[in-house]
Amino acid sequence: MSQTKFIVRKAAVLGAGVMGAQIAAHLANARVPTVLFDLASDGSDKSAIAQKAIDGLRKLKPSPLACAGVVEHIRPANYEEHLHLLKDCDLVIEAIAERMDWKTDLYRNVAPHLGEHCLFASNTSGLSINALAAALPAALLPRFCGVHFFNPPRYMHLVELIPATGSDPAMLDLLETFLVTTLGKGVIRARDTPNFVANRIGVFSMLATVANAAKYGLRFDVVDDLTGPRIGRPKSATFRTADVVGLDTFAHVVKTMRDTLPDDPWHGLFQTPEWLERLLAAGALGAKSGAGIYKKEGRQMRVLDPVSGDYVGAGEKADDAVKDILKMADPAARFKALRESAHPQARFLWALSRDVFHYTAFHLADIAHCARDVDLAIRWGFGWSVGPFESWQAAGWQDVAQWVAADIAAGESLAAVGLPAWALESDRAGVHFASGSYDAANGTLAQRSSLDVYRRQPAPARVIGERVEALGETVFENEGVRAFTSGDEVLVVSFKSKAHAIGPDVIEGLNRALDLAEARFKALVIWQTEEPFSVGADLQSMLPAFLGGDWESISSAVRRFQDTAMRLRYSQVPTVAAIQGYAFGGGCEFAMHCDHVVAALESYVGLVEVGVGLLPAGGGCKEFALRAARAAQGDVLAALKDSFMAIAAAKVGTSALEAREIGFLRASDTVIFNAFELLHVARAQALALAESGYRAPLRVQRFPVAGRSGAATIKGQLVNMLEGKFISQHDFTIASLIAEVMTGGDVDEGTEVDEQWILDLERKAFMQLLQTGKTQDRIANMLTTGKPLRN
Amino acid sequence: MVKQVQDAYIVAATRTPVGKAPRGMMRHVRPDDMLAHVIRRALAQVPGLDPAEISDVVVGCAFPEAQQGLNMARIGAMLAGLPDTVGGITINRYCSSGINAVQIAADRIRLGEADIVIAGGSESMSMVPMMGNKVSLNPAIFAGDENYGIAYGMGLTAEKVAQQWSVSREDQDAFALESHRRALAAIESGAFTGEIAPLEVEYRRPDLERGEVQVQRRTLTTDEGPRRDTTLDGLSRLKTVFDAKGSVTAGNSSQMSDGAGAVVLVSERILRQFALTPLARYVTFAVKGVAPEIMGIGPKVAMPLACAQAGIALGDLGWIELNEAFAAQALAVMRDLELDPARVNPNGGAIALGHPLGATGAIRTATLVHGMRNRGQKGYGMVTMCIGTGMGAAGILEIL
Repeated sequence: MSQTKFIVRKAAVLGAGVMGAQIAAHLANARVPTVLFDLASDGSDKSAIAQKAIDGLRKLKPSPLACAGVVEHIRPANYEEHLHLLKDCDLVIEAIAERMDWKTDLYRNVAPHLGEHCLFASNTSGLSINALAAALPAALLPRFCGVHFFNPPRYMHLVELIPATGSDPAMLDLLETFLVTTLGKGVIRARDTPNFVANRIGVFSMLATVANAAKYGLRFDVVDDLTGPRIGRPKSATFRTADVVGLDTFAHVVKTMRDTLPDDPWHGLFQTPEWLERLLAAGALGAKSGAGIYKKEGRQMRVLDPVSGDYVGAGEKADDAVKDILKMADPAARFKALRESAHPQARFLWALSRDVFHYTAFHLADIAHCARDVDLAIRWGFGWSVGPFESWQAAGWQDVAQWVAADIAAGESLAAVGLPAWALESDRAGVHFASGSYDAANGTLAQRSSLDVYRRQPAPARVIGERVEALGETVFENEGVRAFTSGDEVLVVSFKSKAHAIGPDVIEGLNRALDLAEARFKALVIWQTEEPFSVGADLQSMLPAFLGGDWESISSAVRRFQDTAMRLRYSQVPTVAAIQGYAFGGGCEFAMHCDHVVAALESYVGLVEVGVGLLPAGGGCKEFALRAARAAQGDVLAALKDSFMAIAAAKVGTSALEAREIGFLRASDTVIFNAFELLHVARAQALALAESGYRAPLRVQRFPVAGRSGAATIKGQLVNMLEGKFISQHDFTIASLIAEVMTGGDVDEGTEVDEQWILDLERKAFMQLLQTGKTQDRIANMLTTGKPLRN
Repeated sequence: MVKQVQDAYIVAATRTPVGKAPRGMMRHVRPDDMLAHVIRRALAQVPGLDPAEISDVVVGCAFPEAQQGLNMARIGAMLAGLPDTVGGITINRYCSSGINAVQIAADRIRLGEADIVIAGGSESMSMVPMMGNKVSLNPAIFAGDENYGIAYGMGLTAEKVAQQWSVSREDQDAFALESHRRALAAIESGAFTGEIAPLEVEYRRPDLERGEVQVQRRTLTTDEGPRRDTTLDGLSRLKTVFDAKGSVTAGNSSQMSDGAGAVVLVSERILRQFALTPLARYVTFAVKGVAPEIMGIGPKVAMPLACAQAGIALGDLGWIELNEAFAAQALAVMRDLELDPARVNPNGGAIALGHPLGATGAIRTATLVHGMRNRGQKGYGMVTMCIGTGMGAAGILEIL
């Protein structure tokens, strides 16, 4: 395909509402200077509305800003004074309120100011893209389309790309490439049908939940317990999600469906229930107004009883019998049990699945290019772990199809229309196959996009039923790791352990991979097939030695860990860590010791050992002491203080950019936005290092430490935290030891040590803490509850 | 006990307005420039005086380093245009540095070894932060338990005083509010006009678009700290910062500030020779230590000692400038010594007016002298404060 380049030097977002401001923030995260427009306000600062929205970005949780400095790249503007700024914008995204008349007015206003090559896109969530296009001059039509982000746009992977009839296909490809690589999004091409793909199905699912909850007489908190993580959906489940989105917004989306889908067989369902009308009338709009379906009173969470209209104490859970069904690993058995159970909660869940299957199958042909697009859209836009077609297919297509059909025939379903014929074909095993995903409009199997940008994704998101073969050719494999290559002379090693924890097998495998890489490959990449990168050392594997009081063997395991980190630094081939998700403790230490790190934006990096009563003893303290000595301009302690606090407070960077600010990543490390591109970029970086005539770093001979005065100065701060009751006595003990290790032990300020000196201090301090009762309590708590204990 | 040969008299006392640190109106004014300014303005109040007769310039500063290092007293004296023959010494006892400068200057005169000495203080907390640019504690502090108090931050010591003397959060906040009220009333009535030497400041910013330096000039005449929008409700909602479950907040603590003050002290001979009218007579000074973890209670031991040296009772003090390091410690001292609140900080204190550490003693000397004279008060007045690592200091003056 012939592609010219699309460079976004500057972007503009029109409309500084919740979505507009956050889209601007994400553009700024991606280092795209962005002008954020809104109406001109009275008063001296006419851009006050946009400015207020920018200020608001700092307070939003989860933060739309990947690090604090990002906000400076968003410039506030207003339509009265600043339309001339649009001239230099290569991309302009409209994100104002969902009113056709307001949008078309705005388009007429801004169109004359757009640059000759500017791409103009609407973030509408439901209005017709073609109807919007009608307000634009003909010259702009090829450069106009819909780009629908999901809230919160930094975190939700999905963007729906909706072409208008006049959209230039080449332009769409360029924009898709930008969305995927630069903004890190998962793009689904949608048809111009109301609410597009994800909202059409996702909002239907919410309405079906409301209807079935009423039918089976379930409380809203119970419904949320049933429709959350237990069935692979987000914790906020159904009603909590509605509160967070805003009940007014939800009602608006429902109204759009009612107005724009008069012929939808489920049209009767597109109503706001009476209890919702009452809430709206009372101004209870959800989280933003302090009350909605849920309401917090003091510390007590209360939930609406739709019958009485009163709030009652919330927190009721699903019945154990139903929970047991949901724990069944085999989806076929699970659906069968739900359907056959007499329990209203089980019947509710079956009915909900049935209605979603029914609706999705019925509309597949009109709303999406193939079933894969529907499943990925729902996963990426609504946070479901498995899409509706995947659920159906996993449970056995034929059985489920018969069950759905039988319910329809019995008048149980929400609409009296049959399943489409293709769904009932007697030889149908599903919709996703090795050879493609079902396109109901054409009755064919659709392949994945051939756009160049997807060559950067050696392991893209897959759907159930799609061919998934292990990547590359296995070079070595043990219980802990798989090392493979794809013919580019780079050895890639992936951990096989749960949450990629680092135990003896991983250490063993990593060392073996280093041996192989040094003997036969140009470079070594550590990359995991899925997040997280690693939650750190495998405490469980230490348990037998720990319970047996075999301190000697634990100490040598720590030593082996440290030696491995040092090998990553000093091996004869370049080492590159490709990180995403959690990179904690030992995982962080390994990454810090690689020659280069490629980090997905959504990487959460930290040395969190104090949570289990320990300190970083895989070279983390050493590495920060060394970096401080290198950065210090005469004052090692000053250069060390922030990293000391990062370790002592178990600080976790909330993005790769923040991890860089804290110092877990170096300025030279690479941050990318799409985690599916990690392996591609990591290999490229590894090869670039190798091809540049890589030589292992020379051993650091000596570096200065802050010494005993430095440790004393840090302890001065700690005493204040202890006395002020901000930390516990054991926190104080741990932090004091961290200070002593990082300042080089009981030596004079400014004296010089080598790396092994601090590694030995790390190990001794680690062993000292491990033998305290409070640390043992912390470890036990983490192993049993998964949460840190503060004692 | 007193072995003086003559009395020392204050013939001039002035100060800069006090700015907020580190982002206030004086953040770009160097402490040595502030010092030179107040020296010049103090001398301008005694026009007949021959500067060649000045023997020394004694200047207090709590963190005499960087911009206020290199013996700032000598530099300030020279920048002020004093002859080369005049000496300069920078002294430090943290928050009492300024009153100690007055004491040292007075004692040189009282001993008969000097006739004119300038005392002052200058501190830019915008430029040199609390604890200085590089903190380094002695490891011996942590060898046992007994010296941990040295490492206590000032706020934590205030929490200890609040606990030990049962000073409630409500009382601290009410005291803070009253400090602002009094300071604002004083500003409105012009009570500070006589003591403040207006300061010309220049802000020099690059105009990036035009490629030139943009110079903005302002004359500062009013303290920046007092807030009109302070309310009890607002104060009560502030979070504690030094103790998770404590009572000391940013609102009931002194403000970080920039400022300088200077006082001219002379002997009786000089009074006669130049026909000068004394503003006040220097009476005495006392210092005494307490445990570092309750440093704020220091004035409780220093004030009675100073009064005993002067042969007066606490009740004889018509005006007390009690530095409000923290409302907690000020209230504890006032209650234990049964001080009349009306006589303590009648024009507000450091919670509203700010506390530029080593300069405060000199600045509040100017406030005391002009404050009492404005109101026609005669007799004794005191400048007193607590001092980090556990001390109290108190100096007594007599308005003639």
